[in-house]
Amino acid sequence: MLTIVIQLIINGLLLGGIYALISIGLTLIFGVLEIINFAHGEFLMLSMYASYWLFQLLGVDPYLSLLVVIPMFFLIGLVVQRIIIQPIIHAPPLNQIFVTVGLSLILQNVALFFWKADYRTVRTAYSTLCLKTSGLMISFPRLVAFLLALAIISILLIFLKRTYTGKAIRALAQERRAAMLMGINIYGTYRIAFGIGIACVGAAGAMLMPIYYAFPTVGALFVLIAFVVVVLGGYNSLVGALIGGLIIGIVEAFSGFFLSPHLKEAVYFVIFILILVFRPTGLFGRG
Amino acid sequence: MKMSFISRKTASNLFRPKFYFPLALLLLLLVLPILPRNPFYEDLIIMIFFWGALAAAWNLVGGFAGQISLGHTAFFGIGAYTSTLLYLKFSLSPWLGMLAGAGLAVLVAMGIGSPCFRLKSHFFALATIAFAEVLRHVASYWRGLTQGGVGLLIPFKPRIENFMFRSKIPYAYIALGLMLLIILVSYIIRNSRFGFYLISLREDQDAAESLGVKTSRCKLIALVISVLFTAIAGTFYAQYLLFIDPDTVFSLPFSIELPLLAIIGGLGTVIGPIIGAFILTPLDVLLRGWLGAISAGLNFIVYGTVLVVAVIYFPRGIAGWLRTWYESFLRRLPGAKLSLAIEKTVSSPLLTSETSDPEDSDPEDEEIKSPLFEAQSLNKHFGGLAAVKDVSFQIKKGEILGLIGPNGAGKTTVFNLITGFLSPDSGKIEFKGEAMTAVKPPHKVCIKHIGRTFQLVRPFNNMTVLENVMVGAFSRVKRTKEAREEATKVLDFIGLLEHSHSLASSLTIADRKKLELGRALATRPELLLLDEVVAGLNPRETEAIIGIIKAISNQGITLFIIEHVMKAIMTLSHRIIVLHHGEKIGEGTPAEISRDRRVIDAYLGEEYLA
Amino acid sequence: MPIWGRSILLKLENISTHYGDVQALRNVSLGIKEGQIVSIIGSNGAGKTTTLNTISGVLRASSGTIEFLGRRIENLPPHQIVDLGVVQIPEARLLFPYMTVLENLELGAYTPKARKGKEENLKVVFRLFPVLEERKTQLAGTLSGGEQQMLAIARGLMAKPKLLMLDEPSLGLAPLLVKEVFEAVKEINAHGITVLLIEQNVFHSLSISDEAYVLENGRVVLEGEGKGLLDNPQVKEAYLGI
Repeated sequence: MLTIVIQLIINGLLLGGIYALISIGLTLIFGVLEIINFAHGEFLMLSMYASYWLFQLLGVDPYLSLLVVIPMFFLIGLVVQRIIIQPIIHAPPLNQIFVTVGLSLILQNVALFFWKADYRTVRTAYSTLCLKTSGLMISFPRLVAFLLALAIISILLIFLKRTYTGKAIRALAQERRAAMLMGINIYGTYRIAFGIGIACVGAAGAMLMPIYYAFPTVGALFVLIAFVVVVLGGYNSLVGALIGGLIIGIVEAFSGFFLSPHLKEAVYFVIFILILVFRPTGLFGRG
Repeated sequence: MKMSFISRKTASNLFRPKFYFPLALLLLLLVLPILPRNPFYEDLIIMIFFWGALAAAWNLVGGFAGQISLGHTAFFGIGAYTSTLLYLKFSLSPWLGMLAGAGLAVLVAMGIGSPCFRLKSHFFALATIAFAEVLRHVASYWRGLTQGGVGLLIPFKPRIENFMFRSKIPYAYIALGLMLLIILVSYIIRNSRFGFYLISLREDQDAAESLGVKTSRCKLIALVISVLFTAIAGTFYAQYLLFIDPDTVFSLPFSIELPLLAIIGGLGTVIGPIIGAFILTPLDVLLRGWLGAISAGLNFIVYGTVLVVAVIYFPRGIAGWLRTWYESFLRRLPGAKLSLAIEKTVSSPLLTSETSDPEDSDPEDEEIKSPLFEAQSLNKHFGGLAAVKDVSFQIKKGEILGLIGPNGAGKTTVFNLITGFLSPDSGKIEFKGEAMTAVKPPHKVCIKHIGRTFQLVRPFNNMTVLENVMVGAFSRVKRTKEAREEATKVLDFIGLLEHSHSLASSLTIADRKKLELGRALATRPELLLLDEVVAGLNPRETEAIIGIIKAISNQGITLFIIEHVMKAIMTLSHRIIVLHHGEKIGEGTPAEISRDRRVIDAYLGEEYLA
Repeated sequence: MPIWGRSILLKLENISTHYGDVQALRNVSLGIKEGQIVSIIGSNGAGKTTTLNTISGVLRASSGTIEFLGRRIENLPPHQIVDLGVVQIPEARLLFPYMTVLENLELGAYTPKARKGKEENLKVVFRLFPVLEERKTQLAGTLSGGEQQMLAIARGLMAKPKLLMLDEPSLGLAPLLVKEVFEAVKEINAHGITVLLIEQNVFHSLSISDEAYVLENGRVVLEGEGKGLLDNPQVKEAYLGI
């Protein structure tokens, strides 16, 4: 029994690392731009395809593809922000929601158009590699994904804490008018924040590729989880997104095992509603 | 005399474009289902009615009340599953199952509505998504009941009581009937007190509360009505397709389609969602047919692009600009001149209706001795900061009491404590001898005849001037006609009658301030709290407002006024109290106050007179 | 102090500003010479804050020109105006509440020019407000009202302003702290920084000002030498209505 519990915690944590990386991008975008990016999952999907094609056509290892995918998705983020998000920064919430929903519809179908509805996966030497110690099994690609996710999140947190641009992003999230009066170019900073958010989810996509399939609607699956994580952790707390991601990973592992794999999503959506109603600021959010 | 006037009016009505054109449209709708003899177009027409009905139902809560639900699929699915399961398991007629499903959906909505309405826009939307997702997963999981992802197949036994028909035409008329019913309900709501309340709370919840609107209850009722029709549409869907599964009736794309139709058509208008359905549904179907055949996904790329562009560049939807076009179109139809003449004769009596000044009491008279209002040792802290410290005062019936003090002295906090926007940490408030301290939601305070204005004016921007004041009037009268008469009187009184039909957002700042006064006056307050009504106005505008305030006072209404413009408050007030750092540091007549050393120090700096 | 020999630092000519369709400033003209302390006084809603927001580029003037050091700035975005050396300290402070005192100060020195001299500037600021050095690792949101105001001013100073614009720095402060704030303003000015001050506390602001403007309904209705206005009955009337 104890082994099972430990195994479930490990499974959950490994999964949670990726969730955290997806969610941290969503949190950053929401915290700074006050826009919920409903197309977030589609950027994950696109990066999975990017990683897939880099592997298929050029033989680039998915982990190595991060070096291409991260800067590429940062640039995509900058462009999308400028063209689509910028015009709706001061629009009513419903219009903001629908622009990103529309974007998500477009991207999903662009993928369907070019790459059909097939499930695609990459076969690497380590795809099914498993580390076994004292009755526990640790999937190698999941472990790598987890460690890489933590590394990227750490770099992001240090960047936000230490660099001028990072501080400007945080300042903008806390007090927009003062940021403007301190000489921060707020629109430029919005763009960078959006770019970083997309780069994070891009990285997550590349890291998912060895353990999951790419298909046009794969993003929808993950974006709902990311919403749960963001609300659980507190929509303006990046550390909250990290811990929220790990918690949801563990919840998923346990409810999948003890209840039913079909109910695991129902379980975390119930958690989601309870958090929203009883603690709308989340576990680590600020009022 | 009166009789003949009316009959003449109805007779000539038939020849007015305003009347016969919509009638012609209605007739067109009625024949639409039997025009095509082609299953593809029959299906298209059914889908347009179906989506129109759903979008209009969503619009009641999402458009009128401004509560963005992205989880309406939950109620749709409840409706579909309830009637289907009752039919399959107990052979209950889907007509009855439809009512059962609607009832169940309403119960569920009442359960989740109240907690969720406390959430701000984005989070309300997310919570509704999550709720629908939970139901989807439960429906997929609970195989014993729902057969999970396999779905439920309804055997085709065409009989009226089975809600199944061989031909598509009955379905088309049922969908049309449902759509027309929802349009009718929307129209009635839009023109009733309830509709005014919904739109006012969407525009500004606090201002609506201050005018006596029970905002939480109104939102819940709107949700219930919306959900009722959504669930009914769910049953219709099940009976039309004879197959349901969790991934189609509990689907996020479904939830998103409804507000989308409403936005593109015109959010918060009666007819907008229908227009949205008439444009987007065929577009969707045709794109699917043309482009979808070329390559999967292409149609959605175009559809999504249309959507994004429309929402960015036409955020107000089609109904907005269609209205101007429609009105000028009507004017060019035969009979238009006739209608103009009649409208004039109808509207003129209203203008001449006299404003009565019921109470013409002199405030300086005997009544002034009895205290109308009393505050005892009010305290309020925000975090560590004492905003109001041990403040006590009385307001006598009929007087004008001024409240002054430097910025941040706690003046507005005192107003918020009185009007129920904040509750005091300690202290007592009495009005007409009744304890008010526990009277919490602001709408209850309004009903007790205490009115207020806000420091920064908060008109309901997307309502006309008349409608703004009607929201206030509805706190005393139920019927729209009475509220309109009442509001017209008030507008005449404050001098805004000529702007009755302008949008509040188009007024100058001075007129907006007058409007806010009028809105509060329409609630027939006995005590009216005015928060800086002349700040930012030029001398002429200030004079006008001071004139109105004096006239209000002459009607016997007691006034409590915060003001920074000293000239105004000194000339208006009978007495003045002074706050500084949350404490009362002075009280007296204007003359006494202007000589008070502590007051001058507080305002101008200690050594000013030294 | 002879002031007329100095060069003009900031000049507003016929500035009008609107909020939507509401006109908040009507043909406001004013000039500030290098090294001066200039006050704008007037009642609530007279247009004082609007004037500052228009200068700093947060609001766009609908007509008129603004010149800073001979350069037209009325069409520049706020961050470029800050970079030129025009720094506004907003009313109600608007600190970054979840950042430390030190981080707030570092953000003050955000512009490339200010970053260069950050370390020395930090020393100057800490000398001026020693309490901030004691609290430098504390979150800004946890400071007392007086300390927050000090931090807001200090953060503005970190931007190496040539012109520092203060919006009601004494707002909500106890009398003793008010005095301290005004002492600080004088000292900042003594460091060679020109100051544009908006205040309700007429006595304090006029007594330290070289020149002052009285705004009413978005218009300049009176201007003159600071202390001279103290005795002007019109000022008294605007405030007390007597």
